[in-house]
Amino acid sequence: MKYKLIKAIDVAGLTFLTPVVRLCYGEEPKKQLQEIGRFIVVPLIAFAVFVGLWGAIAPRHKTKSGEVPTPLVVWDAASSIWRFHDREADKEDAYGLSGKTREQKLAIVEKRLSQLEPLETLANQHVKEANAARTTSVEELVGPILTQYEKLDAEFSAAQTEREAALKRDAGLLASADRAAREAYLQRVRDHAAKTEAEREQLKELKAEETAIRAEKFPQLVNALKAQTRIAEERQYLGKLSEQLGHGNRTLKLDEQMAQLRADQVTFLSAEGDAAFMLAQRIVRQEARIQKTSESTYAKPWTLPMQIYRSLACVFAGFLIGSAIAIPIGVLCGLSKTFMAAMTPFIALFKPVSPIVWLPIALIIVGGFIPDPDKHWLIDFLANLPLLGWMKINPAFIASAITVALCSLWATMTNTALGVASIDKDHLNVARVLRLGFKDRLFKIVIPSSLPLIFAGLRISLGVGWMVLIAAELLSSSEGIGKFVWDQFNNGASDSFAKMMVVVFVVGLIGLVLDRIMIVFQRLVSFDDAAAAI
Amino acid sequence: MIQPITENLTPAAEAKTDGMALAERRFVEFYEVTKAYPNPYGEDIAVVKGFNLIVSKGEVVSVIGHSGCGKSTVLTMVAGLNDISSGGIVVGGREIVGPGPDRAVVFQAPCLLPWMTAFQNVKIGVDRVYPQASKQDRKQLCEYYLSVVGLADAMHRYPKELSGGMQQRVGIARAIALKPRMLLLDEPFGRLDSLTRMELQDVILDILNREKITTMVITHDVDEAIYMSDRVCMMTNGPGARVGQVLQLPFERPRERHAVLEHPDYYDLRGCLLSFLEGQDRRPAEPEVAVTAHEPVTTDAAAEVEEELVTADAAH
Repeated sequence: MKYKLIKAIDVAGLTFLTPVVRLCYGEEPKKQLQEIGRFIVVPLIAFAVFVGLWGAIAPRHKTKSGEVPTPLVVWDAASSIWRFHDREADKEDAYGLSGKTREQKLAIVEKRLSQLEPLETLANQHVKEANAARTTSVEELVGPILTQYEKLDAEFSAAQTEREAALKRDAGLLASADRAAREAYLQRVRDHAAKTEAEREQLKELKAEETAIRAEKFPQLVNALKAQTRIAEERQYLGKLSEQLGHGNRTLKLDEQMAQLRADQVTFLSAEGDAAFMLAQRIVRQEARIQKTSESTYAKPWTLPMQIYRSLACVFAGFLIGSAIAIPIGVLCGLSKTFMAAMTPFIALFKPVSPIVWLPIALIIVGGFIPDPDKHWLIDFLANLPLLGWMKINPAFIASAITVALCSLWATMTNTALGVASIDKDHLNVARVLRLGFKDRLFKIVIPSSLPLIFAGLRISLGVGWMVLIAAELLSSSEGIGKFVWDQFNNGASDSFAKMMVVVFVVGLIGLVLDRIMIVFQRLVSFDDAAAAI
Repeated sequence: MIQPITENLTPAAEAKTDGMALAERRFVEFYEVTKAYPNPYGEDIAVVKGFNLIVSKGEVVSVIGHSGCGKSTVLTMVAGLNDISSGGIVVGGREIVGPGPDRAVVFQAPCLLPWMTAFQNVKIGVDRVYPQASKQDRKQLCEYYLSVVGLADAMHRYPKELSGGMQQRVGIARAIALKPRMLLLDEPFGRLDSLTRMELQDVILDILNREKITTMVITHDVDEAIYMSDRVCMMTNGPGARVGQVLQLPFERPRERHAVLEHPDYYDLRGCLLSFLEGQDRRPAEPEVAVTAHEPVTTDAAAEVEEELVTADAAH
């Protein structure tokens, strides 16, 4: 069991867990503790230090979009993203509910709504109190400053008028030929201007002091506002939810429309002439409406988890397209030096091209193939696939996937070529002695022998593809993580900045997991242990 | 200066040869085989030059010589893995062109495909050689040959899970499973310890006794050459290496190791081989290259003299 566990950990590339397993089995506790200290505690401490520094430094840097969010704010943003996703899923459920469950759910929602009412009044009360408390405390601090300001202001303007009057008076006494006296007069005017400027600065400083005091955060108020917002959000959500359960509910709407239809049908039986025609038309229209209602779903907005799912689908689509191109070409390059020579210019030329360039080109080309997405067979086909259908795959998605493919296939291609070209000569001799045909040689000797390098290439490709994808989505407005970032950037809400930081961690984490998965695959296909370095 | 060794022919060996049809006596024939590589100045340097040898069917011939003299070059040329610059090799009445499963090779390194189990390594050859046989038959064939080399219990392991000796056993099983007309062993035990080496020598001798495959063994171990083969072919030093002398061994097959070791002639034979090798050490290689010292071997019936046993020694 122990060795099985250790082997599994080793294959998964999570070797930092090995000492924990060994410790659990009581093997050399001292040594294992040392290892745990080095490979688990030290990284954790490093991360803690990072978070601490971040928390300390972030509030000092003010930007146009507000303060740089601290770790706590980012955490709040993450939970708010998740809450949003949860609540939207609830609403979607609610829209489709019918019968007893709908009524029960509605009752729960109504109850919670009524519970919220007093809470809301209380929260409003708190905000009011906090506001009042803040005003008094601010006024207390600002009061003396203001009085001093007024006092100084009066003094200064009095002094200024006095100085100016004196200067005006002396100007009349200036003798026309007395150059020295004129110089002295000019100097006096200069002094006067400098003094006036200094006095103005002094007043400005006082004013700034006042503004700073007024702008200072008042923790009590901040907390009260937060509580108020939370309750307001929940109220809004419950309101929407009760709407989906109540008159906005699909079953209720259907019932209502059906009742209308029945009534019309009954009247139609006895109607004559124009009235009969009108009624018949109404019945037909009503039937169409019922059909539409019964097929309708809740218009759910995109939430980050859904966008992550779509991004993953997109990156895998691109990765598959890229691999399907790269592996065969790579194999041919490895097999034939001539083919390699033919491909080298293309590889060298296209490898460094940025996704930002590929994307518009891909968008235009895909747009050319799919001029009308609503009526195209491919889009139609994709919309009916079980796990992908709901994602509304559109030309932007396809273009993003193609961009991912174009940027990521080079690593696989070059690695495959290298793997095929560097097959052990002895293994090829086996094929020669057995006079294996091309197919057997390819599938029994060449590809198995180059699999470790192919997978090394695939691993790099997937990593590159994941990075490229976010940029591609951001540009193409294909729903996904990139789009989320772009929306937040343009949105400018108070928590947009924090939500973008959440994305940093989400993208990093998913990239890490993808890489780990590829490592496991790489290890499973490598026949000698040396090839599977992490 | 060195005594020709044809006198050592025993009556038994003669009789065996006499009883064979011409095609069987000249089952494998090397005629003036030469391998030359161009040097940077555009001149061809012959590694092997004028190599002549005739092997009868079912015979085991070992080739000894100093390392780098061109033994392996000769073997890879028979195997078809290396082009012949001039001259030709005939196996079973047909001149060889390229490699083929009729000439199975066991290399010094086991050369197993590491992504396949021992069984699959044998099966890839069996599938190729017996395409008509049923799946079940092919499977049994693989299992049979793996058990012949003593791997019945380890046949589903991967090469990296096997010891060097076991890997080489798989290599042997893979070679004989091809039912080759000729078995080529290129220092097959060079990388093994002496105990494993003795075990594997017996494994191969067992197989050869049973299957009677014409075999060529490259080795630089004098004792191995004496124990395993019917004739020992000694190569001169390169460049321009060729057959220096051929020693006919007086042992019958099947043979016992201690019977061979205790044979009264054993040390004479051994001394003969060693003195040839030592003579090669002392002698400068150049003059020997200059002399092409052999009557061309022809395949027509008129040339049915015993010259296949006497080779390059005529010059000395």
